[in-house]
Amino acid sequence: MNNYKLIHKLIVKLTTSLILSLLAINVGAKDYLIKNATVHTASEAGVLNSADILISDGFIMELGKNLKAGANVEVIDAIGKHLTPGLINAVTQIGLVEISAASSTVDHTTKQEGVGASFNIAPAINFRSTLIPQNRINGLTRAIVVPGFGNSIFAGSSSAIALLSDMTGMISENVAQHAVYGVGGAGFNGGSRAAAHMALDKALEDANYLRHNRRRFEPGFESHFSLSIADLDALKPVLEKKIPLIINVHRSDSIIRMIALAKKHNIKIVLQGASEAWVVSNEIARANVPVIIDPISNLPNSFSSLSSRIDAASILHNAGVKMVFTGMQSTHNGYLVRQSAGNAVSHGLPAEEALKAMTINTAEVFGIKNYGQIKVGMEADVVIWDGDPMEVTTNAEQVFIKGQKQPMVSRATRLRDRFWDLNDNKNKAYVK
Amino acid sequence: MHRGVLPLPLKKHLRFFFLLFLTTCLISCQSDDPSKVDQQKQSEPFPSTYMPSPSKAFVIEHATVLTGTGIEYKDASVLVENGLIKAVGNNFFIPADIERIDGSGKWVTPGIIDVHSHMGVYSSPGIESTQDGNEMTAPVTAEVWAEHSVWTQDPAMPLALAGGVTTFQVLPGSGNLIGGRGVTLKNVNAKNVQAMKFPDAPHSLKMACGENPKRVYGSKGRAPSTRMGNVAGYRTAWIKAEEYRAKWDKYTESLGSKKELDKPARDLQLDTLAEVLRGNILVHNHCYRAEEMMVMIDIAKEFGYKISAFHHAIEAYKIADVLAKENICSAVWADWWGFKHEAFDHVRENAAMVHNAKACAIIHSDSAIGIQHLNQETAKAMSAGNKNGLSIDVKDAIAWITSNAAKAIGIGDKTGSLKENMMADIVIWSHNPLSVYAKAEKVFIDGVLTYERYDSEFQPVTDFDLGIIDPEGVRL
Repeated sequence: MNNYKLIHKLIVKLTTSLILSLLAINVGAKDYLIKNATVHTASEAGVLNSADILISDGFIMELGKNLKAGANVEVIDAIGKHLTPGLINAVTQIGLVEISAASSTVDHTTKQEGVGASFNIAPAINFRSTLIPQNRINGLTRAIVVPGFGNSIFAGSSSAIALLSDMTGMISENVAQHAVYGVGGAGFNGGSRAAAHMALDKALEDANYLRHNRRRFEPGFESHFSLSIADLDALKPVLEKKIPLIINVHRSDSIIRMIALAKKHNIKIVLQGASEAWVVSNEIARANVPVIIDPISNLPNSFSSLSSRIDAASILHNAGVKMVFTGMQSTHNGYLVRQSAGNAVSHGLPAEEALKAMTINTAEVFGIKNYGQIKVGMEADVVIWDGDPMEVTTNAEQVFIKGQKQPMVSRATRLRDRFWDLNDNKNKAYVK
Repeated sequence: MHRGVLPLPLKKHLRFFFLLFLTTCLISCQSDDPSKVDQQKQSEPFPSTYMPSPSKAFVIEHATVLTGTGIEYKDASVLVENGLIKAVGNNFFIPADIERIDGSGKWVTPGIIDVHSHMGVYSSPGIESTQDGNEMTAPVTAEVWAEHSVWTQDPAMPLALAGGVTTFQVLPGSGNLIGGRGVTLKNVNAKNVQAMKFPDAPHSLKMACGENPKRVYGSKGRAPSTRMGNVAGYRTAWIKAEEYRAKWDKYTESLGSKKELDKPARDLQLDTLAEVLRGNILVHNHCYRAEEMMVMIDIAKEFGYKISAFHHAIEAYKIADVLAKENICSAVWADWWGFKHEAFDHVRENAAMVHNAKACAIIHSDSAIGIQHLNQETAKAMSAGNKNGLSIDVKDAIAWITSNAAKAIGIGDKTGSLKENMMADIVIWSHNPLSVYAKAEKVFIDGVLTYERYDSEFQPVTDFDLGIIDPEGVRL
């Protein structure tokens, strides 16, 4: 292909996406009044029976009873339905992988030497991914998109996205930095947790030194630090407490070590995975450290997670630990965070707390503004469910993201519709 | 702790061995035909020694009973005697002196069955030495038996029991075209695998289509490296099996005649494949795509064997009518997808669409977490179909993890449904089982209370769980 053709193609692509994003904004401008729903606010207001919400210009403008619809407002009767904020999964790679075993579709991890903390996955997020509509129609409206671990104990920084099929879905880059301790961390450091501990400690120390002496290190300077200059620079927002360091860790004693490390370096951490967090729940609560867990994950699937149990979420909650949820197959099926939450509720966690752990708590931990509650002034990420939002037989009926009513269609529903009636003699190759 | 097979008092042990001796004698002493003895040993050299503990008769009353065969009884009873179901329904005589379990507000189902598990062969915790599920040293390893890899102390097994799972089929992995024999186990704690083996369950053969075998062997620079290479591999194996079977059949026929033939050499691999051709071993075929399933159906016809179930049948919904006609079950997940290209065309309504085409739908786990929640997985699969206009009832969908599963692994006449003279494999649930709130409260295996949620005396603890965290305690 010659350059001219390439440029022409690019222009066409850019124009198309511009038009599409303008269309998206126009759609968002429509107003909706959802009436008579059981509203799970994920706020101090709790659950409101037979309540109405008015969505206008992308935001929740009113919340109450017997709201009146103005002109040009689409009224949706949600009598007998439940309404929650759109859900968020705190650990996904949505947009960074289409088919896990097809390497050309996978962008979440780099094995490049010297690229760890400085790895920023944001430019690779593909908002046209089929995973976005499939998760969206099942009630997931936001996701934290995290890097995978390549060659470093630091994976890089994560992004927050809204599950929209164009680049307006990008909410915020660099919402957290990610590290791994335990067996994973040991693997990057010669095979010992002690070496991993040393590496984390040294990296934070070096980053701190660099941050105070940055002018001495011009571009081209050969680094004698434990990590590349770029990686150490990337830890600066962690040291400035602008973003949290998410540490993948399971064993209870390792968790205590990480809390001590955070104290030493005066940083905010979040424990991820944290199978044995419940064992040291009081220590975690005292240190005011949030945890990201998948409540359904109760297998002792490594020697670091021997104490895994199905009611861990309830124990952590009772100790006063702030929780954020993820779930099984959490990229392709990020929406299954809801089933994981349901299992937590089934094993003793109050339903309102479970909802917060996949809405507002996640927003707070990752610094996402104006999302996560049904509250006036919040962006209107809203799901209408046909039943109890924690129940596995419940399905999403209608999803709104930033006030835009989403088509309830995905590639999977298209395939379903094509093969729904096998007696239909139409040549399926011509069925659109 | 308590499990179906307990250290019985010594007297009972002796009686047990005497019974075992008698049983063995019934088989071998009765027959004066040495070839039959040979065949018996050949087909079951590791016979089941599973014997349920003696159990008292009991009745569960006032429960909602789902039989697994499409019937729902309200305010009904289930009567159990001698480890067998004696009666189910609303209207039968209940002996006065037996234990009565109040099932008011509870739901009763057959014990849950998973047709696709790797518990014991990919045990928890997953470490280097627990990777025992896949003999990936040759594309055809029909000679290996999953039962010989089973670690009976896998701590995942009691977790599955707490999810109501009373029976599970352990299969070899899918790296090979023909991965070896699977085994069906009762979910009871035992010191050896024979003591878990489901009595008289047929053996199974694991076969695999698609990406896995061609990736595993292609990456080693050997065949198969393509899907067409896969098919050549299956057919080559079956051709050898046909020859082997004919040789042995001729030899058996010649016995006692004037022209007795020399005994052919035994080949473990071909033993298994010939037994498949004789219809004695059931084929469980890992196969995602519609076109590959269609090819496998033709291969089965070419060599005259039957496919019992396609596992991971992501595209079953595309050919549900064919699967109904061929009487092949589709064992599927509720919603897994996208991890491979062949798992890309997933629809959440897959099981419901298969069911709606009057084909046999099964929800399987392939996961030590999923196996704990097969009721939830079934619930999701059912409700996805219903959301799109079907009206599948709980009493029908429960068959996907009970009677249909039992049928696919050849034990449908023994368990998987609540009917007279079936094994008393029973779960009492706190709620409608197709709910996230449903918990298995009591699990019976052959009439023996094997799990009780609110009594730690009846919660099995594996050897592994013992003292692993707290020297004086157990893992959970």
